[in-house]
Amino acid sequence: MPVILILPSSVADQIAAGEVVERPSSVVKELVENAMDAGATVIEISLEDGGRRLIRVSDDGTGINSEEVPRALARHGTSKITKASDLVGVSTFGFRGEALPAIASVSQFEIQSAAADGEGTSTRVLGGQISPAERIARRRGTTVTVSQLFYNMPARLKFLRSARSEWRSAVESLTALALTKPGVRIHLSHDGKNALTLPPVSSIRSRLGAIWGGRYAEDLLDVDDVAGPIHTSGLVQRPADVGTSTRRGFLSINGRAVRDAGIGRAVEAAYRSTIVAGVRPSFFINVTVPADAVDVNVHPSKAEVRFRDRWNVERAVETAVRRSLGTLDSAASLGFRGSSFIFRPDTIPPNPDSEILRPPIDHDSPLFAGGTSAAEIDGAEYATAVSTADVSAPAQPIPPLFQLRHTYIAFEHEDGLVLIDQHSAHERVLYEQFMHTLESGAAPAQRLLLPLTLHLGPAEGEAFDSNREYLERLGFEVEGFGGHTLIVNTVPMPHPRFDAERCLRETLDSLTGDRVAGAAAKHERLAATVACKAAIKAGEELSQAEMRSLFAALRDTTLPAHDVHGRSTIVHLTWDEVERRFGRR
Amino acid sequence: MAASIPAKTTLPVLANILLETTDKGIKLSGTDLDIAVSTEVMADVETAGAVTVPAKKLSEIARELPPAPVKIAAVGEQRVTLDCGRSRFKLLGLPRDEFPTFPSVRFNESWRIRSGDLQQLISHTSFAVSSEESRPILNGVLWELRPDKMRMVATNGHRLAKMEMPINSANAPASDLIVPPKALEQVRRLFPAEEELEIARGDNHIGFRSPFTAVFTRLIEGPYPNYEQVIPKDNDRVAIADKLALASALKRMSVIASDQTHRIRLSFNSGMLKFSVQTPDLGEAQDELPIRYTGDQLDIGFNASYLLEILRYIPTDEVRLTFKAPERAATVEPEGWKDPASYMCLVMPLRLVD
Ligand SMILES: Nc1ncnc2c1ncn2[C@@H]1O[C@H](COP(=O)(O)OP(=O)(O)OP(=O)(O)O)[C@@H](O)[C@H]1O
Ligand SMILES: [Mg+2]
Repeated sequence: MPVILILPSSVADQIAAGEVVERPSSVVKELVENAMDAGATVIEISLEDGGRRLIRVSDDGTGINSEEVPRALARHGTSKITKASDLVGVSTFGFRGEALPAIASVSQFEIQSAAADGEGTSTRVLGGQISPAERIARRRGTTVTVSQLFYNMPARLKFLRSARSEWRSAVESLTALALTKPGVRIHLSHDGKNALTLPPVSSIRSRLGAIWGGRYAEDLLDVDDVAGPIHTSGLVQRPADVGTSTRRGFLSINGRAVRDAGIGRAVEAAYRSTIVAGVRPSFFINVTVPADAVDVNVHPSKAEVRFRDRWNVERAVETAVRRSLGTLDSAASLGFRGSSFIFRPDTIPPNPDSEILRPPIDHDSPLFAGGTSAAEIDGAEYATAVSTADVSAPAQPIPPLFQLRHTYIAFEHEDGLVLIDQHSAHERVLYEQFMHTLESGAAPAQRLLLPLTLHLGPAEGEAFDSNREYLERLGFEVEGFGGHTLIVNTVPMPHPRFDAERCLRETLDSLTGDRVAGAAAKHERLAATVACKAAIKAGEELSQAEMRSLFAALRDTTLPAHDVHGRSTIVHLTWDEVERRFGRR
Repeated sequence: MAASIPAKTTLPVLANILLETTDKGIKLSGTDLDIAVSTEVMADVETAGAVTVPAKKLSEIARELPPAPVKIAAVGEQRVTLDCGRSRFKLLGLPRDEFPTFPSVRFNESWRIRSGDLQQLISHTSFAVSSEESRPILNGVLWELRPDKMRMVATNGHRLAKMEMPINSANAPASDLIVPPKALEQVRRLFPAEEELEIARGDNHIGFRSPFTAVFTRLIEGPYPNYEQVIPKDNDRVAIADKLALASALKRMSVIASDQTHRIRLSFNSGMLKFSVQTPDLGEAQDELPIRYTGDQLDIGFNASYLLEILRYIPTDEVRLTFKAPERAATVEPEGWKDPASYMCLVMPLRLVD
């Protein structure tokens, strides 16, 4: 068992200092962290009156030797580090030796601890005054009782909120810790009533299920991605669910729950173009970075960290989340999952039912199956021609596709029936294509034999002026602009049914009054608008070839499951659901 | 006939065919309100009358009947019986007066054209019409009639097809008509090539008829854009290629060309045409074809499907392509065509980006 030592002032002075105890929830956090640091497998927390009257945390951890208790209660007394260099990569929650003395100085405090089953000590502290220890009999572990918090600080006491909101805040702190250590059994009671029991589990998804219900946990998407030394894992909300329930954001860095606005923004950025503006996704993410890439010693209550290279971390998180949104797992499933929830076995790799659009390559089928074979070309005369072709990947088989109501493309998948919304899907395809064009240069465009002439109102004229360069890159080359009359010489050709004039008119119409600043935002806005106007509509009959080409194009997008408004492009009806509806299960 | 019946309609009677007795026999008519088609068959009429019956069922029945005389009888306006040998059908029809009357075209000022000539024009041009709703005029085929010649032109603004031939039809009024391609398709299918068609126009309609069959259609209101102005007159680079070899090279390139733009690059060099295509995320392909071409190298981008489509209609083994510059219209014409008609297609290139 580690020895508690008092940090020399040279080390203590390097530790971010400040207010440790702000309200009951800070006490809960510090005590539960200590219990976890002590390797507890079971932690019991009881609160009375929102923690204002009493907070008690018991654990079955290592416990503290009787002779060491005074040092645990002294400022800078810690067993977790001994020198400043230990701060790098510190793996325990605690490292300051600040929490216990700080709490004990503003409450009626008692710590009972035993380093082995049998004999332990109980020590009382009243407003910082330590009483002599008493011998007690107890099992291995520690129980800290904090009564009458701020009893000696009327000014602080006055600022405590209602029992309800203090309770809520305490639950929040506890929840974050429960998520960082899903393997610890946690009992929480309030005013003598059992409030929450979390069994030990091995995944964050199971823990979430125990906290907010299986359905909530089941609907989340796995994130698991490695970018160099940065490993991002956890769960995020399906775009279709964003905004439908309380937003929850949970982030831990190397297992330490922290706040970080930058990473929060990176997560949100990954949802760009899949959700409507103004709603924010819930996420439960842990980022693992090398110990020396992050400094945990920057915030008095350890709620923030500093990255050596923030940009790379944010980018890794954004990519990881975007990847997981890109899989079909994030497509909205039709309801009817039933209330009983089966936890995903942890042995299954992330995203077990993802990648529906990427059927496995059938190794028995000939390469290039589905492509035009040379023999199919009629009247081919190869003798005079020299052909070379360099194709990057063999065409993957496309399942038989059916069009329903001239609106949806349906196909059978081994996991169930899948429906694609043709307009949404095409919109997604075009959006990514247009974004690529806007960011990388210019698209091929069809020159017009008979140029289009458009007479615009002043507002549309202005919309054109401010987007002219980008429209040109997309393929609308315009000349002779004067008095709001456009002569359009070239148009994009996103598909054979494309109505260039209507698309341009409607695009300019919806861009009127837009005040989007910044090239990137403008790109997105324009690409989304043109994609929406240019995409094939619901109700248009598609040929087999058109459906196949749309399917293949959608498959190649980065976010096949969502259109640019955040609606689902794909709906997946699992065989499970089908069978349940037919009463076969 | 059944082809003029709309596939889906909100007006139930349009799914029916009108059967009317005439002095020669029975006249069958169908319409989708834009076009109307009728044909007369010889029959012995016992009692004059008219009735409508479901078109699809009637044609299915007709297909299955043995080659024997059919007797059609109607009880009241809605019950129709059809007897053929030992087979008997009873169909439920709809009253005759629910069937729309199509605006009449009077044939007193008609003119005559050999059906085969008209069909040749139609089949070489109407493929090029536009389907964009925002330019309805381009949805039709322009039919220019002059005292000594006639011409059809169709374009979607990206490519154009034009065919012209001499005629001697004394009465033909000099006029420009914009005809829906769907009606022209009926004209192409329903009349035997050797027949003389009698043609007349009403205010907004035009009618084509032979002794037994008639096609009427609404006309699209003009004026048609001034296409002559965009036909290049100074294309000075000329290439002559084998049509089939060119088509197969284009098809090979199309395999790799993007599904959306079908963009390929052609590079004309003296004696050799080089093809190349590059599609991000897919791959690339090159090809070569010996051709007759003299002049400076010319690199130009095209939608391969437009070129392939046009090549299908070129009536000769060799094809002549002319160009001015990579951003100007190219022409595609038959090479060495011995025919009184003349044919030319235009294709606008794609903007190439490198
Ligand atoms: N529940 C516990 N079980 C075992 N040892 C404990 C427990 N709580 C505290 N200790 C011991 O007491 C010491 C002081 O705890 P305290 O929380 O004050 O400081 P810390 O955890 O080291 O650092 P920090 O101030 O950052 O939390 C710890 O280092 C640990 O050795
Ligand atoms: Mg601590």
